[in-house]
Amino acid sequence: MTSREQILANIRHKRPQGPALPDIHAVPFIRFDDLFAAFSNLIGNLGGSAVQLQPGESVLDAVRQRWPQHGRLVDLTAATQPQTAQPHDWHDVDVAIVPGEVAVAESAAVWVSHADNQWRSLYFLTQKLVLVVPRDAIVDTMRDAYDRIAIREHGFGSFISGSSRTADIEQSLVMGAHGAMAALVVFV
Amino acid sequence: MKNDNINHAEAAAAFLQDREQARWHDSAIWWVRQKRDAQAKQLPEWEQLRSLAQQIKAHTLSRLDEYLEQFQRNAEHNGVSVHWAADADEHNRIVHGILAAANVKKLVKSKSMLTEECGLNPYLEQRGIEVIDTDLGERIVQLRHEPPSHIVMPAIHLKKEQISELFHKELGTEAGNNDPTYLTHAARANLREHFLTADAGLTGVNFAIAETGGVVVCTNEGNADLGTALPPIHIASMGLEKIIPRLEHLGVFTRLLARSAIGSPITTYTSHFHRARPGGQMHIVIVDNGRSDILGNDDFYQSLRCIRCGACMNTCPVYRRSTGHSYSYIIPGPIGSTLGPSRDIKKHGSMAFACTTCGSCSNVCPVKINLHEQLILQRKRAFDAGTLKPAKKMGLLAMRFLTRHPSLMDAGGKVMRKVVPILPQTLTQHSAWSRPGRELPEMPAQSFKEMWRARQEKKHD
Repeated sequence: MTSREQILANIRHKRPQGPALPDIHAVPFIRFDDLFAAFSNLIGNLGGSAVQLQPGESVLDAVRQRWPQHGRLVDLTAATQPQTAQPHDWHDVDVAIVPGEVAVAESAAVWVSHADNQWRSLYFLTQKLVLVVPRDAIVDTMRDAYDRIAIREHGFGSFISGSSRTADIEQSLVMGAHGAMAALVVFV
Repeated sequence: MKNDNINHAEAAAAFLQDREQARWHDSAIWWVRQKRDAQAKQLPEWEQLRSLAQQIKAHTLSRLDEYLEQFQRNAEHNGVSVHWAADADEHNRIVHGILAAANVKKLVKSKSMLTEECGLNPYLEQRGIEVIDTDLGERIVQLRHEPPSHIVMPAIHLKKEQISELFHKELGTEAGNNDPTYLTHAARANLREHFLTADAGLTGVNFAIAETGGVVVCTNEGNADLGTALPPIHIASMGLEKIIPRLEHLGVFTRLLARSAIGSPITTYTSHFHRARPGGQMHIVIVDNGRSDILGNDDFYQSLRCIRCGACMNTCPVYRRSTGHSYSYIIPGPIGSTLGPSRDIKKHGSMAFACTTCGSCSNVCPVKINLHEQLILQRKRAFDAGTLKPAKKMGLLAMRFLTRHPSLMDAGGKVMRKVVPILPQTLTQHSAWSRPGRELPEMPAQSFKEMWRARQEKKHD
């Protein structure tokens, strides 16, 4: 008998009684009056910031307003998609502008899952991460977000909330553990 | 690997010798508990969320074999290789086999309590593979050659001065620079090099989705993401209880996990892995290692609902005052004190007594495991298995005798109330009550029974 068969046989023999699956949509979850305000207030504590584009303003304008001086910039929302030979080649990117599909007010998280980006390493190697989200794509809770996302053929997606951080040294919060040191969410 | 011979009470007593460090540890962890409370209070539906999570997990355990099979089918459909390991040794052999086949020299790992449980690092190191733990806290304890003391905050037992000294020696940081930001960014620079030069990445698994065949890994640092986005091979090791039936269920669990663990609404990265990246490989190792046996135990199977948030240890008055290093099993605190004894009562019997039975752990657990009730049942097993120290065993036997003979108990109480107040101090000095800051309580004039009787008589008058 293989380990697989052995393990499954043991579980079949021993599994306890259990309830039916609950309907997770039967319980009312928190709602926010102003979704952008909730998102924006929260991300401020998580090493990020959020802005809504004004008429006539571009994403690049918002990025330069936040970081007037910056190094290598890669823009996945541009018409021509920059690509590299291997995932390591993004290692010196300073600013990455990437599309986000859904933003979540309760957690300041944005879902990224970009089919055209060959290497997901960009999201994590960049020093500053800019997430571009349609302004009508903010939902209240993670439950609403999971109702809107799909697991795609390319097989990777992530909710990203603010910047990479750690409190592993004496519980002192430090921004920039391994991933982006700062995050900017631009609602367009 | 952890020393199985640790006796909780003795190790805790040694830790408490440094009163300042002990007080700091207690307050640092209590602060995390308070952050958890603040998050929980912001959600009117918090208690209903806990109930949903409990029901989803309880349902999953009742059909675990079916969901595991569904998970494997869907993962393989996505091109992921699925392996099954009956025990720790088989897990290590599978991982080594994958790495050896690809001639891997360096492995970057993100946090995984399962690989600690299996002793993977020494196994691979003995076979010539360099293993780099990449979670900052895990890296710190790896460089110190010690096990993590907490499942979410591995280096919470250390002060920044100790970490500064370690980094000065290992990473060449400035001597005496204790600034957490400076130290963190030094580790960032050092670990980036390792990410960029690693041949494979290994992660744990927070949730495995039967419906889609993918796994979810949650980190604040982004180390699991870098470790899997750069090297061509991703191995995910999971305990078989990590399964959830549907993608939508993450709408419950991602709301509970980080709030319970660290008092944040969510982790920075909640990453969903369903396929290898172009030209790469993705492997999932499903590990039993005693779990399916716990499933068959009516008293303890609920412990398999655990999502490893660590809230039970943050609230535990005993954990906060003894550190994870006082527990013999790799997972400390209330959840470890049922999982460890379930695995091996002879080795981990003392953990069942690292508990005041206050029940706080059961009240904060996001999947409502009856932790304190399980610990009481584990005590019975520890007693029956003969793991108690003679003095503790005699004390318990004497207490049992007294509680079975009420008149003797009453008489004993009466004698104590009369005699203790007139005892010379030298006689009481060597009790637990004689340490600095503690005084023997004043003896009441009456026993509870006598007070109760008097009260009832008054009522009926």
